[in-house]
Amino acid sequence: MQRGKGMKFVGDSRIKQGPTASRIPKDYSEYPGRTEPFWPNFLLTEWLAGAVFLIGFLILTLAHPSPLGGLADPTNAAFIPLPDWYFLFLYELLKYEFASGDYILLGMLGIPGLAFGALLLAPFLDNGPGRRPHQRPIAVGMMLLALVSVVWLTYSSAAQVDWEGRAEMDKPVPPSDVEVVVDTDHPGYAVYEANCMACHGAELEGTAAPALVGPDFDFTAEEIADISVNGIGTMPPNAFTGTDEELEQLVDFILTVNESIE
Amino acid sequence: MSEEKKQQVTRRQFLNYTLMGVGGFMAAGLLISPVRMAIDPILKSTDEGGLVNVGVSVDDITNEPQRIDWKVEQVDGWYESEVDRSAWVYKNENDEIVALSPTCTHLGCVVSWEGNESYPNQFFCPCHNGRFEKDGTNVPGTPPLEPLHTYELEVRDGMLFLGDAKPQGEA
Amino acid sequence: MLQKIYDWIDERIDLQPIWRDIADHEVPEHVNPAHHFSAFVYCFGGLTFFVVVIQILSGMFLTMYYVPDIENAWRSVYYLQTEVAHAQIVRGMHHWGASVVIVMLLLHTLRVFFQGAYKKPRELNWMVGVLLFFVMLGLGFTGYLLPWDNKAYFATQVGLEMAEQVPFIGEQLKVLLAGDASIVGAQTLTRFFAIHVFFLPAALFVLLAVHFILIRRQGISGPL
Repeated sequence: MQRGKGMKFVGDSRIKQGPTASRIPKDYSEYPGRTEPFWPNFLLTEWLAGAVFLIGFLILTLAHPSPLGGLADPTNAAFIPLPDWYFLFLYELLKYEFASGDYILLGMLGIPGLAFGALLLAPFLDNGPGRRPHQRPIAVGMMLLALVSVVWLTYSSAAQVDWEGRAEMDKPVPPSDVEVVVDTDHPGYAVYEANCMACHGAELEGTAAPALVGPDFDFTAEEIADISVNGIGTMPPNAFTGTDEELEQLVDFILTVNESIE
Repeated sequence: MSEEKKQQVTRRQFLNYTLMGVGGFMAAGLLISPVRMAIDPILKSTDEGGLVNVGVSVDDITNEPQRIDWKVEQVDGWYESEVDRSAWVYKNENDEIVALSPTCTHLGCVVSWEGNESYPNQFFCPCHNGRFEKDGTNVPGTPPLEPLHTYELEVRDGMLFLGDAKPQGEA
Repeated sequence: MLQKIYDWIDERIDLQPIWRDIADHEVPEHVNPAHHFSAFVYCFGGLTFFVVVIQILSGMFLTMYYVPDIENAWRSVYYLQTEVAHAQIVRGMHHWGASVVIVMLLLHTLRVFFQGAYKKPRELNWMVGVLLFFVMLGLGFTGYLLPWDNKAYFATQVGLEMAEQVPFIGEQLKVLLAGDASIVGAQTLTRFFAIHVFFLPAALFVLLAVHFILIRRQGISGPL
C-alpha cells in the first residue's frame, strides 16, 4: 500500500525518506543519536515525572479545598458576575471601548474569532519550510503579541477583583427551611427599621451588609450594642443613633429573631 | 541465549517491575480518595433513628392487634423528608406491648391482621398467601422464612414510642 | 495462569500487532529528558492527558452524589463537601484539575507552536489539537454552572447573553443552550449537565483518539 503522494512520514527531520515507502513507521533505531524503547524505559521516565506531578497536584487539592459559594440566588443584585479565570481575558476585552457598545460584535466575535481562527489555521498561514522561530518572525511575533495581551487582560481583570470580599459575601450557608420570624410589633423593630434595615435587610438577611441571623452571626448582647455604636470592619461608627433604651430594645430585637430560628 | 542477552532480559524485567510500581503508586494516589468517597455509605455508622412518639396511649392498646400509622423525619443525604411508617400493635398474654412491622419477610409486601377470612387470628400477606401467627411467627409451609420484625419500643408517660424495626431475637 | 489467559486470547485475536502499535517503538533522544533536561517540554502533552484522566475519574465518582436539579444541585454538592469522607478531595481534584488542564494545554500548545511542529505533514493533528482546546474550554464553561452557586449562576448568565449577541442565530443559540428564552434555571442546568457529562466528553474521546493515532502514524517531530 502506497502512502499519499509526496507525503513524508518521518519522525526525524534529519532523516531523508528512503526510496521504499514502508507502511510501518520507521524504527527510530535507524536514526542518529541514542534512542530508547518506549516500553518500558521511556515510559518509566514519563511515569516518574507523572508521579511527581501527581504528588504536587494532590498537595494543591489538599491545601486549597475547592470553593463553593452560596446557593444561587437570581435576585441577588449585589453579586458581580465573574467567569472562571481562563475566560477572564475575554471578559475584560469587552470593557474596552472598541469592543463594546456599537462594536460589541467586534469584541465578542471579531477579535476572539480572528485569534482562535488563526490558531486553528496556523499551519496554513505559516506554511514556510522553516521550523525555527527566527525563520518565521511573523507567526512567532503574532503569537507573542497574543500571549502578552491575554496575560495582560487576565491580569488587569483579576487585579481589580476583591477576591476575599467576594468569598466573604458568598459563603455556603445551607438554606434553612425554618422561616425567620420578624416580630414587627417588637419595640426594637422600629429602631431596627430606622437605623439598620437599609443595609441589613427587612428580614435581617443582609443585603449590602452581612446577615444578622444564621450560623455566622454569633455575637453577645454587649457585642451587638458595641458594634451598633462603634461599627466593625467596613461598618462605620454611629450607624445607630438613639437613646440607650432604644439600643437595648434593638439588641433584644436582634437576639429575639435569632432565637426564632434555633 | 547468550550471557549478554540474559542480562538484558533481567534489566527489562526490572524496569517492568519498577514501571508497575510507579503505575501502582499513581493509580493509588488517583483512586484512594474517589474510592473512599464511593464506599462512604458503607462505612458510615447508620445512626439509630431514635424513638418517636406515635401518638397512641398505652391504655388504648388492646389484645386485638390494631394498625397504627405515624411519620418519621428521614434524612436521605441532602434530602430531608417525612416518611410514613405503620405497625400492628397489641398486648400479649403477659400484658407486654408488641409492635410488629407489617412488612412481610418474604418479599416485602404489607401484611394485615385477619386479612383473609379463611385464616382468623393470623396475619395474612396478599401477595403470596404468606401467613404469620399473632406473635409474628411465620406459619410453616407458607412462603415467609422468618418471623415478622418487631419495633423497638418504649413507654414514656403512658404514650407509646417506637424506633426501628429489627428481626425478632435481635431486638 | 496469566500467561495461559494471555495465550488463549492471543491465539484467537493475535495481540502482537496491537501491542506493537501501542508500546513497541523507539523513542528518540531529543524528546527524552534523561538525555537533555530541556526535553521536559515534551512532557506537557502527556501531563495534559494525565490530568484529563484525573478529570474523567474524579468526575465519574462525583456523579455518584451530584444531582443536576436546581433544588438539589447545590445541596448535594454541599452535602458531599461537608458530610462525605474524602469527597472534598475528589471535588478538589476535579476543580483544580479543570484549571491545571488548561495550563498544561496552553504549555503544550506553545511548545508545539514555537517549535513549528505543526508544519507539514502534521497540520491535521494541530487542528485536532486546537479543537481539543475548544472542547476543554467548553467543558470548563459548562462545568462551572453545575454547583449552582452564585458565581456559577451569574457567570453563566453573562455567557448566555454573549451567545445571544451572535448575529442571525444568536437567539436560537441561547435558547438551545439555556432551554428557555428568558429563564436561566432548571432546564439550563440539565442541558449544561448533559453537555458537560455526555456530549463534550464524547467529542473529547474521539478527538483524543485521532490525536494519538496521528502521533503514532506520523511519529514525533524531529529536533529543530
